[in-house]
Amino acid sequence: MTQNSIHHPLFASPLDGLRVLDLSNRFSHYAGKLLADMGAEVILIEAPIFGNSIRNKPPFIQDRTDIEFGIPHFYFNTNKRSITLDIHKNEGKKIFLELVKTADIVLEDYEPLALNKLGLSYEFLHKINPKLIMTSITPFGQTGPYANYASDDLTLLALGGLLNIMGFEDMQPTQAACEQAYAMGCMFGAVGTMLAVLETQLSDLGQQVDVSIQECVTLSLENSAQSFDLEKKIRARAGNTQRYAGSGIFECLDGFVYVFAGGMAASRFWKNLVEWFKIEGVEGANELASPKWQDLKYMHSDEGKQLFENIFTAFASDKTMAFLYEGAQSRRIPLCPVNDCQSILKNKQLISRSFFETALHKDSGLKITMPGAPYLLSETPWSLRHLAPRLGQDNVTIYKELGLTEEKLASLRTLGVV
Amino acid sequence: MNMKKHSKGPLSGLRVADFTWIGAGSYTTKILSDFGAEVIKVESSKSLDPLRNTAPFFQGKPGINRSGYFADRNSNKKSIVLDLKKEKAQEIARALISKSDVVANNFSPGTMDKLGLGYEQVSQDHKSLVYLSMSMQGSTGPHSHYVGFGLTIAALSGIQFLSGAADRPPVGTGTNYPDHVPNPCHAAFALLSAIYYQRKTGKGQFIDFSQTEPSISLIGTSLIDSIVNERIEKRMDNDNLESAPRGAYPCRDGRTIAIAIYLDQQWADLDNLLKISTKLESRDWHSNKVRMDYRKELDAAISKITIDFDAQSLQNLLQSKSIPSGVASNIAELVETDPQLNHRNHWIKLNHSEMGKTIYNAPPIRLSRTNLNMENSAPLLGEHTDEICMNLLGMSKREVQFLREQDIFI
Repeated sequence: MTQNSIHHPLFASPLDGLRVLDLSNRFSHYAGKLLADMGAEVILIEAPIFGNSIRNKPPFIQDRTDIEFGIPHFYFNTNKRSITLDIHKNEGKKIFLELVKTADIVLEDYEPLALNKLGLSYEFLHKINPKLIMTSITPFGQTGPYANYASDDLTLLALGGLLNIMGFEDMQPTQAACEQAYAMGCMFGAVGTMLAVLETQLSDLGQQVDVSIQECVTLSLENSAQSFDLEKKIRARAGNTQRYAGSGIFECLDGFVYVFAGGMAASRFWKNLVEWFKIEGVEGANELASPKWQDLKYMHSDEGKQLFENIFTAFASDKTMAFLYEGAQSRRIPLCPVNDCQSILKNKQLISRSFFETALHKDSGLKITMPGAPYLLSETPWSLRHLAPRLGQDNVTIYKELGLTEEKLASLRTLGVV
Repeated sequence: MNMKKHSKGPLSGLRVADFTWIGAGSYTTKILSDFGAEVIKVESSKSLDPLRNTAPFFQGKPGINRSGYFADRNSNKKSIVLDLKKEKAQEIARALISKSDVVANNFSPGTMDKLGLGYEQVSQDHKSLVYLSMSMQGSTGPHSHYVGFGLTIAALSGIQFLSGAADRPPVGTGTNYPDHVPNPCHAAFALLSAIYYQRKTGKGQFIDFSQTEPSISLIGTSLIDSIVNERIEKRMDNDNLESAPRGAYPCRDGRTIAIAIYLDQQWADLDNLLKISTKLESRDWHSNKVRMDYRKELDAAISKITIDFDAQSLQNLLQSKSIPSGVASNIAELVETDPQLNHRNHWIKLNHSEMGKTIYNAPPIRLSRTNLNMENSAPLLGEHTDEICMNLLGMSKREVQFLREQDIFI
């Protein structure tokens, strides 16, 4: 993967040949991005003139509130095409149904039954195209007592159970950054789509994929359900207290590091930590070598945690995150810096793997860097083929392909359909 | 939908030689096994999956077949024990791979190669094999040998720094979040995409998966904002950049309710129900800009009102006006009383020979025509060793017995 360029891949993409009609208008754009970045032809279907609602979502490039400058649009719509089409109008609906005949997948985040009311239910689309898959990502799923509840990312983190266990005990809970409930819905939505795609390869029949974001969030609760079921424990917020002595977040000279060297799966790293402390001449290193630090009960005690924290922070207070990271990792101790955005951009490992992509955003004239491939496939590498589309940029190509004449297009424009 | 359901999951017929363990790896292959793939977990008491010894345990008593943590991550899988330090065991593992469509592992780079099970070694005669390698930081680069787990990955990849109270140290999600959703989903998605390609072309491939990269992809908008607008990203409590009020507010019963207002009409309805503006200085509260500028004042006023309500009844009241809101449910509520999760049959009880009926997460995906495959509990350590050796690999009972005496199957 090369940097600083938009490249046409020399290799095939794994999802080449799949066509996706992306009706995302609320929060499911990342699901379409995952498919598009893997080579599917994803056509974002946008409202004429105003465009997709994600275009109005902040932050904006250069803080310019313009539909071509929104950062969520810029990032979540990479590799997609864009057409404008008002599927609420009869003429628009007809064109949409023509497109459905050419598509493998419809991805949508409408409220349950909203598409049915438009006459675009899955049952109906399936009759037009029996192989069609429809992936519906909604807050609570297609049916059920909460199906029409009003929600946003924060309330979904709440009803999915993650919010209750995030943050500090002595205050109200706090969210995970960057709309992780929506992100989880999108990730499982993309997985569900591929499950259906693989099944269609065998059966020649499509189906509807029903993803509930609330339910996705319950997958992130670690062992909460099992702890409740087996030991009747109700997991609560733990703030930044160590899980066991030696596992937690600690302050150092220029920030924080996360150490995972005590208790459960981490306990096998304890002796490496003690060795490191001895070599560094840390006061209290010998204390940490005593047998009581092998006892999980002691490791779990306030006394053990406090003692460890005193020893570690005294050592770390004049060390940088970078020093501690290198020092610990060279001795096989799971310690990592708590990185902010700037440190992530400077991370040597990510740079070495060409993780970041940089491309020219024409409307601002800026070269913009963004996260690139989240996985490297040897035969079919991830690629940034093009940036997020301008509104309606593919109207002419796609409508011509459907056989619409220039005159017809012009009249549809006048009617506000396109 | 009236279309008839297949009895088998969408991945039936797909076989996975599964060398993953602990968190992210096992949750990735759970997605496959819960949807009908035959996932054969290769493990050993000589190098036990640490989750088998991780709480919670059935009846609170530790034991390698009693961990609920392990069980949830390994539903519908089979288990074969192989002491991979031994040549003969490696040979059996290679035979298993030769009969599989997929290999998955989450070891450090090089570990599988040392066992004679690396991609180059096993794909020579098996060109259609899809091979997923999920190490902490990928198989190339100066930090490829670094060690880490979910929480250290959350630190490294930015989500911890960005999450929490604005005036306190970064608190993150308090869980091994990258292990639970970002890595399993991205890995499963890459794997399924590669299988799709393999079925079309006959070509397999190697997937080099770094467990830090997907989590960074999920904070992409913050990263881009910090780059193009030269902004220092900060923790934001429960605020967002779009609207106010938005927050987590205390209730009389000690629970919390989340409320998020986006539209002026929603604000008008909320204010009408809770009489918030009467408790505030006179300002143009109908303006979202004003609400955002004075959001901390708003939050304080709302907290003083919500504390007089029980959380569930407040949620019902706000939802009656379609105001985005939800109780911050705890796990007891989710398992025992949440009507929506109950409607979707999210929690599944599966019978296990040592643990009896215990709880599992179903995947949050429902397919209209093909079933979930949530039928079998997590396997006992080595439960399917004989079955796999004889039925799949064609070994005789005597041969299996002989190898068992050589401590191959431990």
